[in-house]
Amino acid sequence: MPSSPSTSLSSKSEALFRRVERILPTVTKPGRYVGGELNQVVKPWESVQTHVALVFPDIYDLGQSNLGIALLYDILNAQEGVAAERAFSPWLDMETALRENDIPLYSLENKRALADFDILGISLPYETLYTNFLTILNLAHLPLRSADRDDSHPLIVAGGQSVFNPEPVAPFVDAFVIGEGEEAILDVVQAHQAWRQSGGSREALLAALAAIPGVYVPSLYEVAYQADGTVASVTPSHPNAALPVQKRITAKLPPPLTHFLVPNVEVVQERVSVEIMRGCTRGCRFCHAGMVNRPIRERPLDEILATLKAGLDQTGYEEVSLLSLSSSDYSQIIPLINGLRDLLQERQVNITLPSLRIESFTEDLMDELQSLSPGGGFTLAPEAGTERLRAVINKPISDEEFMATVRSVYQHGWNSIKLYFMIGHPQETLEDVAAIAELCKAVLNEGRRIVGGRARVHAGISTFIPKPHTPFQWVGFDSLESIQQKLDILHQGLHGAKVKMTWNNPESSLLESWLARGDRRLSDVILRAWQKGARFDAWSDQFNLSHWQDAFAEVGLDPDFYSHRARGLDEMLPWDHIQAGVKKSFLKTDYLWSLQGKIRSDCRGRCYSCGILSAYNELRLVAPDGGWKCP
Amino acid sequence: MTSQEEQITRIRVTYAKGPSLRFIGHLDLQRLWERLLRRSGLPIRYSQGFNPRARLNLASALPLGVVSEAELLDFWLDEAVPVGAVAKTLSQNSLPGLEIKAVQSVSLREKALQEQMAASDYEIQFYDPQPQAELAEKVAALLAAKELPRVRRKKSYDLRPLILDVEVFIRGDGELGLRMRLNAAPSATGRPDEVLEALGFSNTEYLACRTGLILEGESAPLPS
Ligand code: SF4
Repeated sequence: MPSSPSTSLSSKSEALFRRVERILPTVTKPGRYVGGELNQVVKPWESVQTHVALVFPDIYDLGQSNLGIALLYDILNAQEGVAAERAFSPWLDMETALRENDIPLYSLENKRALADFDILGISLPYETLYTNFLTILNLAHLPLRSADRDDSHPLIVAGGQSVFNPEPVAPFVDAFVIGEGEEAILDVVQAHQAWRQSGGSREALLAALAAIPGVYVPSLYEVAYQADGTVASVTPSHPNAALPVQKRITAKLPPPLTHFLVPNVEVVQERVSVEIMRGCTRGCRFCHAGMVNRPIRERPLDEILATLKAGLDQTGYEEVSLLSLSSSDYSQIIPLINGLRDLLQERQVNITLPSLRIESFTEDLMDELQSLSPGGGFTLAPEAGTERLRAVINKPISDEEFMATVRSVYQHGWNSIKLYFMIGHPQETLEDVAAIAELCKAVLNEGRRIVGGRARVHAGISTFIPKPHTPFQWVGFDSLESIQQKLDILHQGLHGAKVKMTWNNPESSLLESWLARGDRRLSDVILRAWQKGARFDAWSDQFNLSHWQDAFAEVGLDPDFYSHRARGLDEMLPWDHIQAGVKKSFLKTDYLWSLQGKIRSDCRGRCYSCGILSAYNELRLVAPDGGWKCP
Repeated sequence: MTSQEEQITRIRVTYAKGPSLRFIGHLDLQRLWERLLRRSGLPIRYSQGFNPRARLNLASALPLGVVSEAELLDFWLDEAVPVGAVAKTLSQNSLPGLEIKAVQSVSLREKALQEQMAASDYEIQFYDPQPQAELAEKVAALLAAKELPRVRRKKSYDLRPLILDVEVFIRGDGELGLRMRLNAAPSATGRPDEVLEALGFSNTEYLACRTGLILEGESAPLPS
């Protein structure tokens, strides 16, 4: 990493920031907009060839804790000749102030207008960021549509979990990185540098990008539709455009973060986080993350502990966290917890360990966990109220097993249990819903019996949203009326019981259900909703369904077509040309199994040929130490 | 006193809060200090209890947007460490914009820093050049006033007794600036933005810098 001879800003940046400084006293939490944190990397602007702005389309307070962005920042800044800087969504008051003063959105490091960058890397982990993404392009003074941009504009690259179905935002993005970006981003930068040197056209750049494994350049594909609105065909218009586009994965988990940036203003999750494992093989049929992040790759124990120590040294944080989809499935979980306990005692820090699975609890694990965080709450996610429905969604756990775990949790000294459930599952009946309330009460009774009046139960209710690349990608989203009825049943069922219940707004879930399985035409709805003022759709106090309903009406698309309509099993789905590793035929079989309530057990014991090994076995063989859990 | 208690040392740090930390508020700054102390590896004295926190004491909250050349902070060590070594490790573990200027050891018996605060000095730099006569006139009128009734957070108060002195001066760059000394006693603290507002300036028109904290019993002339 070249060391900066001077941290002073170039004159161009200074002029911009002098104007920014005048508006900052007028906005809330101005510390979000100034950068200057410990371990931020500021390379002198002229000293590097390629400038990348990593953009998280929500406010700093949320985006700065995103580990994916932090990793890319680390990886890019380790490269000679490349500088990565950061930008986030301004809050509404800052958006207004920027517009009123005609100040473009700028990066936190060099305070340069985003339009001055070579590449904007946009992180889209969830669909409700799409309108904020448009705000960012607009505040950067860039044309929203890829087709309206030319080689004087930065290249807009998007990645993240939601772009496994890139189509709803395809017209706004020049290139998508499908899958894991840690290696692909370097290929993108390299292609950009080669293109700059060759002095070629923008079309040449896009074609070069399309040749990179895992990169999808939507403008190189023609989409045709049937009369009924379903997709008829997706046709590449350039020889470099792959069909399908196979997601990119890394053979082993990329190295953990080496530089931990310490925010100056308060952000969510101020702690040292390490990803201990990627992927999950439990196969819950509703779970997008579980399907698209296969295969499982584990990080070695010593690497985890070394990273946590280094992170604590660098940051001075008081908390560490382990990230994975299912931490209790980590094969070295007990030694890991032992190591954590030593760290906790030595450094006086707290530990959060999310995503524990009921099935993988042993008494041993419970003992270890209890020694780690006495008191506090314990989270379990049965997701459905009856054994029958849990078989449908492939979260097979019997009522007895579940209650045994509950008992053990209380017996080990926890007083409070949080239970996660979803309503709106395929094949769900009202009895299944009523059973959720009964289960919560049974848990509370068990708690009272064991720990007495201190026992607490909290039920967190979310709404099932069918997601692409999952066995439930064909099913319809529940109707708002039905969801409301189910919430009413829960309220009644829990009435008078001392169970706290929280739930998300069904209207927000409806928006997600449109965006998650949208096609390219839906981009017009997104654009229209944004023009009407849709912003921060992930924020319940900002989300406004009527913008979206009006947008659908004006664009002339039927919202139910995207949400409530069950897709035909032979229908061509808008994301079929994106290959997430698990084959469509596998998903289909798994969906058919769900109709029979047939369970598919964790595949670490037995491979079901989901498609991962056939597609990536070569990659696995080149990295024998990759920690793969496919047999 | 047990021998362990004899070891406890109270450290006073003088530090600057630069432009990059201008918009970092008091509570955030407190957390940044806690982390800096953790990173420093010094034998910091923690509060007792389930969630132990570093015991630290900031003299006076700096209003958001104001930079400072002379903030004061006290913290406690469980063991005596030479002040030179403390200064060195604090500097090494500091964050951009926070500059350690001086470290001394002070008596455990001193009152809390906040309770010792008497006054604060500020310097104002205007973003746009100011006409001398007009500025001088405004300042003179302000100082001549018997009362300056104002409302802050729905509470009315008199700003005048909080202003100990204000003067126009010529800065190094040749432009006019203001120097002021404001009351900073625990129950009666004057803020530079209130004074500037009384002079007719909004907070988007200047940069304020705190140049000194005056503790009770200290007497210092307004620097010139
Ligand atoms: S390839 Fe086999 S073992 Fe690996 S994730 Fe797929 S089904 Fe599981």
